[in-house]
Amino acid sequence: MLQYSIKRILMAIPVVVFISFIVFYIIQLPPGDYVSSYSAQMTAAGEVMTQEDMDQMRANLGLDRPVYEQYAIWIKKIVLHGDFGFSFNYNKPVLDVVKQYMGLTLVVSLVTMAFQYLVAIPIGIYTAVKQYSAEDYFFSGISFLGMATPNFLLAIILMYLSYTWFGDPLLGLFSNEYVNAPWSMAKLMDLLKHLVIPVIVIGLASTADLIRVMRGQMLDELNKPNVVTARSKGLSEAKILFKYPTRAALNPIVSTFGWSLSSIFTGSTITAIVLNLPIQGPVMYKALLGQDMYLAGSWLLFMALLTVLGTLISDILLAWLDPKIRTEFRGN
Amino acid sequence: MRTIPVFRRTRTQTAKSAAAKDIQISSQWRLIYLKFKRHKLARISMYVLGFLYLVALFAQFIAPYGLQSYDSKYVNASPMTIRFIDSEGKFHLRPFVYELKSARDPETMRKIFVADPEKRYSLQFFVKGEEYKFLGMFSTTRHLFGVEEPGRLFLLGTDAMGRDMFSRIVLGSQISLSIPLVGVGISFVLGLIIGGISGYFGGWIDSIIQRIIEIIRSFPTLPLWMALSAAIPPRIPIVTMYLYIVIIFAFIGWTDLARVVRGKFISLKNEDYVVAAKIAGVGNTKIIVKHLLPGFLSYLVVATTLAIPNMILGETAMSFLGLGIRSPATSWGVLLQEAQKIENVALYPWKLIPLAFVVLTVLAYNFLGDGLRDAADPYKK
Amino acid sequence: MKRSHSLLVLLMCMVVLAAGCTSNNTAQPSETKKAVETGEAKPTPVAVEGTEGLKEAPMLAALVTDGKLPPVEERMPVAADIMIEPVVEEIGQYGGDWNMAWNGPGDKWGVGMITEEALFRFNKEGNKVEPNVAKSFEVNDDSTVFTIHLREGMRWSDGQPFTADDVLFYWEHMLTKETFGKKIYDAYYSVDPVSGEKALAEVKKVDDYTFTVTHKYPSVQFLERVAIDNKWFFAPSHFHKTILPEFVGDAKTLEITKQWGYEDPKQFLVETGYYYWLYPQIPTLRPWIAKTDANSDQFIMERNPYYWKTDEAGQQLPYLDRIVENKIQDPSQKLLGTLSGEYNFGTFDAGDFTVLKENEKKGSFRVIPWTQPTWSSNGIQLNQTTKDANLRKLFQDIRFREAISIGVNREEVSDIVTNGLADPIQASVPEGVVGYQEGWAQQWAEFDPDRANQLLDEIGLTKRDKNNFRMFADGSDLTLTIFESDPNKNAFLELLKKYFEDLGLKTNIKLVDNGALFDLKYANEVPIHTENISVANVALRPDTLVPLRIITPWFGHYGLYSQSGGTEGVKPEGDVAEILNIWNKIKASKSADEINQLANELYKIHMKNQWVIGYAGPTPTLLVAANNLRNIPGDLVWVDEYRTLGHAHPAQFFIK
Repeated sequence: MLQYSIKRILMAIPVVVFISFIVFYIIQLPPGDYVSSYSAQMTAAGEVMTQEDMDQMRANLGLDRPVYEQYAIWIKKIVLHGDFGFSFNYNKPVLDVVKQYMGLTLVVSLVTMAFQYLVAIPIGIYTAVKQYSAEDYFFSGISFLGMATPNFLLAIILMYLSYTWFGDPLLGLFSNEYVNAPWSMAKLMDLLKHLVIPVIVIGLASTADLIRVMRGQMLDELNKPNVVTARSKGLSEAKILFKYPTRAALNPIVSTFGWSLSSIFTGSTITAIVLNLPIQGPVMYKALLGQDMYLAGSWLLFMALLTVLGTLISDILLAWLDPKIRTEFRGN
Repeated sequence: MRTIPVFRRTRTQTAKSAAAKDIQISSQWRLIYLKFKRHKLARISMYVLGFLYLVALFAQFIAPYGLQSYDSKYVNASPMTIRFIDSEGKFHLRPFVYELKSARDPETMRKIFVADPEKRYSLQFFVKGEEYKFLGMFSTTRHLFGVEEPGRLFLLGTDAMGRDMFSRIVLGSQISLSIPLVGVGISFVLGLIIGGISGYFGGWIDSIIQRIIEIIRSFPTLPLWMALSAAIPPRIPIVTMYLYIVIIFAFIGWTDLARVVRGKFISLKNEDYVVAAKIAGVGNTKIIVKHLLPGFLSYLVVATTLAIPNMILGETAMSFLGLGIRSPATSWGVLLQEAQKIENVALYPWKLIPLAFVVLTVLAYNFLGDGLRDAADPYKK
Repeated sequence: MKRSHSLLVLLMCMVVLAAGCTSNNTAQPSETKKAVETGEAKPTPVAVEGTEGLKEAPMLAALVTDGKLPPVEERMPVAADIMIEPVVEEIGQYGGDWNMAWNGPGDKWGVGMITEEALFRFNKEGNKVEPNVAKSFEVNDDSTVFTIHLREGMRWSDGQPFTADDVLFYWEHMLTKETFGKKIYDAYYSVDPVSGEKALAEVKKVDDYTFTVTHKYPSVQFLERVAIDNKWFFAPSHFHKTILPEFVGDAKTLEITKQWGYEDPKQFLVETGYYYWLYPQIPTLRPWIAKTDANSDQFIMERNPYYWKTDEAGQQLPYLDRIVENKIQDPSQKLLGTLSGEYNFGTFDAGDFTVLKENEKKGSFRVIPWTQPTWSSNGIQLNQTTKDANLRKLFQDIRFREAISIGVNREEVSDIVTNGLADPIQASVPEGVVGYQEGWAQQWAEFDPDRANQLLDEIGLTKRDKNNFRMFADGSDLTLTIFESDPNKNAFLELLKKYFEDLGLKTNIKLVDNGALFDLKYANEVPIHTENISVANVALRPDTLVPLRIITPWFGHYGLYSQSGGTEGVKPEGDVAEILNIWNKIKASKSADEINQLANELYKIHMKNQWVIGYAGPTPTLLVAANNLRNIPGDLVWVDEYRTLGHAHPAQFFIK
């Protein structure tokens, strides 16, 4: 097992290097560069940008060099100094930008995830046990509805309803007066209030998925011979339920948990844009659009690392939870 | 031995089922079919989907108007009332609508519509309208229903350019309902084959495939789409454009399925009956098809039916980002993208009607998948 | 919570006001003549009866009491040199936040223009400039020597005195050395009427509060052009001396650059030298100064305690305590936030007119339309130098331009795309704006598809392909590709495509990203684009109407020709060459009358050729202000040259 893990980690290194290059290359694929999108923006605001201004700026930012050279410089700095480069848009080192948004990103993601699992697993079990009952249809219906409505539209509708009913569309994560205020009870309450819509919108979408998987797994497990045997031996229903099928049914959910690692940090970008959430997703989206390439590149690289890491964790969890696969590893 | 429970299951079925005689000699697929028939919601969903696809097939015939029927007179008109009783209280057997007279509110510039009881237009079948090709075969001007010119029929209101929403929804269903199938098909095949190979053979093949999957999963899709939409010449047919996008979706989407398939293969291939088959000298392909695939068919079915609505929703998200299909070509994603303006949510809520169709389709697919899953479940009584 | 807080501030204000009013308020405003409002060549010195009449905001008064700030009299210019800003509706009161939605630091000018203090600014009508940071000016008879007076005792926002040295420093060490990424502005060059040779002006200090700008040749429009090209002809020398490499050395500048979090010193100097208002560390002359990092989710600017303007009652401006810019990611958030009162001010396009108007009462705000000197709200420009030879010949054919102009039903376009707000007229200078021509708006504006088809046949586009689209006479494919970067233009483009294709002209719409479009324009790859012309006066800002450099779609690479001095690009001929010719005459002109007459000729050439085709007339810009946010003028022109909202003099906005 340990040997397997080490082998996996070693294998991940060339993958990450390869990904870093692909990422850097793809970011630059769309036409134009940061200077052209910046100049377009400034020109739209009435400023005059001449060819010389732009050439000068390209030289300042090192954008006049060929792609492989930019890549080499970027990677060299990361490896030697832990310096991920500079965000043109923010006029700040990339790491500072990432840090600025990390806190709230984690808050939103973790709250949403907690909501998902806390809601989905019990409902999944419940609907499986009471298959085809009115409750099953009700919960399935609700979860499907959440999944079937495009996030961005649901977000807008909820914002508008919140505005018409309460007079406050709940934009962003804080009311105006709390954005720059120090933490206090009132600010926390304000945050919680503003979290309602994001949690519903982001959470509901994946909750439906989770409920389906959980329900499906439970149904599989519930009719397995071990459950039938347990029941015939006269064990109480609750005990049967939690002793065998629930544990077994949780396997795929737990083992795929690692895959969602990267989504903790990106969250749901589109929903975040619509709801004006100050989290990473929209920042990266903007960086990609504006070809703020070191910011976008570092971020994508980070995501790739998480994906690789998540897969690793998933594999190990899977092996740990499923004795059949565990044998397979020994066989390796 | 694993065969015993299978045997027992069949017998339990026999005892319970009404169509007992059939089942005793039924194949697995027949069993699935019979069980599926008992799942009411799934059956209804199947009919709903069948109906939607039928409408999509004959969309040009069913939609009273075309995609370019702009008319400044009818900008943002609300859905029309279909009437049977006229202003004088007389009952008409044939439903009719009144002509809309439009004016603008001088203060807010909002279009105001007033029904004109003087001018009545009855709903009719096979009315003349815009020319189109029926199933791409022959040109005709007949549409399933409508009202005589110059009357207008707006069942679900109009959009900001005065086009009939009902027609746009019907015509948009063609793209929205067809292309996701392609995407899911591609990712299903890729996922099954590659995931299967990876899981069944293991070893270095597995390692390489897993690394490739990791790389693909880390692909930044957004700049890829941006590059694509910049690189594609503007006049390629919209459907082709969308197809490209879906194919990219699929080329990333298959990795999810592949990983699951691999996991299942790994856990199943050490089952006694598989080992037994191997020892007995059964070929790899036969083992996979006969012994392994049935073992997690239910999961595949769920994954696929859930993937189709995801594709439909993915298209709406693409439209939100300004990538993908653009009006006048219409898909449900385009309609939702237009609806998402605050102005529309606030003042013209009927523009959200396409949402109902998306939800209906996604629900139907999910219930269908549910029914199939339950039917394919070998342990289900 | 918030409401009670502002109520408190309000109460405090009233108490302070009441105390102030009783003592001094009665005589002062009537006797204070507006020295600065006249804009006359001769300064009119004004006697003010002492500075003890000055009043300040409670938040500053508190600081003075604590000894953290000198008293208001010491912070402001000497009494005679204080600028009195006339209020729009009434004398206001202190306090409150100006809450707005903001697109983030990318939108530098969004906060830049509303806080801008130019040396000279345009008057209300926009027909001439008036001194602003400058107190007054004199000019000699042949418009070569400009003597500009500053305000004695005026201070930067950190309390350091503002003098002619700051102007000279800016000129000598920043502008002419091009430290902030901009070339020396055209305004500082005068042109020899004979040879066309350009000469750079000389700037000299006379005394602490006076300097002169001397041109070699007459420069009639110097002040107007400075007001457009180089709004601030000054910089805080005491600050820039601490960062410029000329003073601290390259190594030190690099170190400071890193300290500020920047990577490249040149880029750092651009940011600090040009976009200085975004940085709390840099002193300014603006009514509000930055308090937080512009990259944070909320950018806050707070009143400048050293601001040098008062209202007629002697209250130091600005009235509003803070500008609070809330970062948004999508325009719908601005709309929702404004509807719900989260933001008490916002500017909108005409597209949002109905939803705003319908919610006016509920949201207790008002919609204030400002006109725009825009030629059209929806139109296209045909690149006269487009790469494809066939297409170029077609675009240069005036019959083709007429055909695609009359082939579109403007009534429909206006009704569908602009909600009926725009008139169904041709792209033309709107009435009341410099360059207005009788009958231009109606030129080729009538929908006449028959004549359009006839014209296209006449040109020789008679061959049709299998889809019944017209081909060039030589049988090659004819496709009109319209480039666009704004997805909101889709409705207009859809309609246009339909009308063009009804004429048999195959039309493609290519939506590209902003930056990519910019590059494409430079590479002359954009045959048709939907940009609208918006210019207050061609003589002051020629960029969009005279092909001087690549920027505007219609003249394409004619601009490159002028810019490169004839080595690259396409040589202008015919009427385009004539436009350049007129422009050269304008630059060397000796009198304002002559300039006006020449400019008018230039407009006439545009009218004749109609390179820019409009399908719907201009629409207003909508200012949306909470009902308690007062002193917002309603009859102004929204244009960049007058600094858009800055033209309303936000320092005198207040919350009632």
